[in-house]
Amino acid sequence: MPDEEPSFDVAGCLVRVRQRDQAAARELVDHLYPLVIRIVRSHLPRRVAEEDLTQDIFLKMFTRLDQYQGAVPLSHWVSRIAVTTCIDQLRAQKRRPEFRWADLSENQAEVLDAVMTSENDVAANDALAAHELVHKLLDQLKPDDRMVIQLLDMEQKTIAEICNLTGWNTSLVKVRAFRARRKLRKLFLDLQNKEHA
Amino acid sequence: MKPLDPDHSWKRLTAAARCAPVETVTAAPYGFATRIAALALAADYSGRSLFERFAFRAVGVASLLAIASVCVNFSALTAEADDETIVVGDDPVTLLLGPIE
Repeated sequence: MPDEEPSFDVAGCLVRVRQRDQAAARELVDHLYPLVIRIVRSHLPRRVAEEDLTQDIFLKMFTRLDQYQGAVPLSHWVSRIAVTTCIDQLRAQKRRPEFRWADLSENQAEVLDAVMTSENDVAANDALAAHELVHKLLDQLKPDDRMVIQLLDMEQKTIAEICNLTGWNTSLVKVRAFRARRKLRKLFLDLQNKEHA
Repeated sequence: MKPLDPDHSWKRLTAAARCAPVETVTAAPYGFATRIAALALAADYSGRSLFERFAFRAVGVASLLAIASVCVNFSALTAEADDETIVVGDDPVTLLLGPIE
């Protein structure tokens, strides 16, 4: 986590940023960039430029910097801003593309067939195809449900961590996870039926 | 082949996806931090300066003028308040009722 770097004085930097020091603002951006870009890359909606979304997150952070009281580490506070901005972007995309076998690449179709019909592990060189496939399936979910299932299954976060990141309560996270899993189950069953039809 | 349980399929798919190589470049692109710092502080400043110019300063100047005018005219105001004849003479009710009596 960026806050754990001993060389960077977060509190001192924040004081200087609040005094409108541009150099301090630049240092803060450079310091937090790896954290923010990791979240953006994990939750980037379709047709949204990585850099644009990152810029939105940083501008939002600077706008709200006066509200940061230091009760939680800065990295946690910024992570929440990043996650909620990603959710807002996902919500803004009202249309979700239909998931069809015909739209899958050869590799993706092979991976999907393998996980649906065989107990064998997916080949290591098919990991990228599996990753793309997961994102195509996640695109079928509602933005909030997608965020929960991605944090749970891809980033292997706990319910408590998801609550901290999103600001949602435990029940809401569990309900969203349940709803997402039900939708994914239905998707898989539809695909199986189509494949064997 | 017999299809597997969908939950199991999803678990295996996500397990495979987690092995995908992640982009390792995590340094900000050249000029990104400068642009963000300039945008963030400029936006903040324009909002504040407008308020400062037209609200805070105006309130300060108005308060000073009000205090100064009270100080300058204090003696005249207190003298006028003590002079009952002037007050009575200027009282519109007295002027109106005077001729009836």
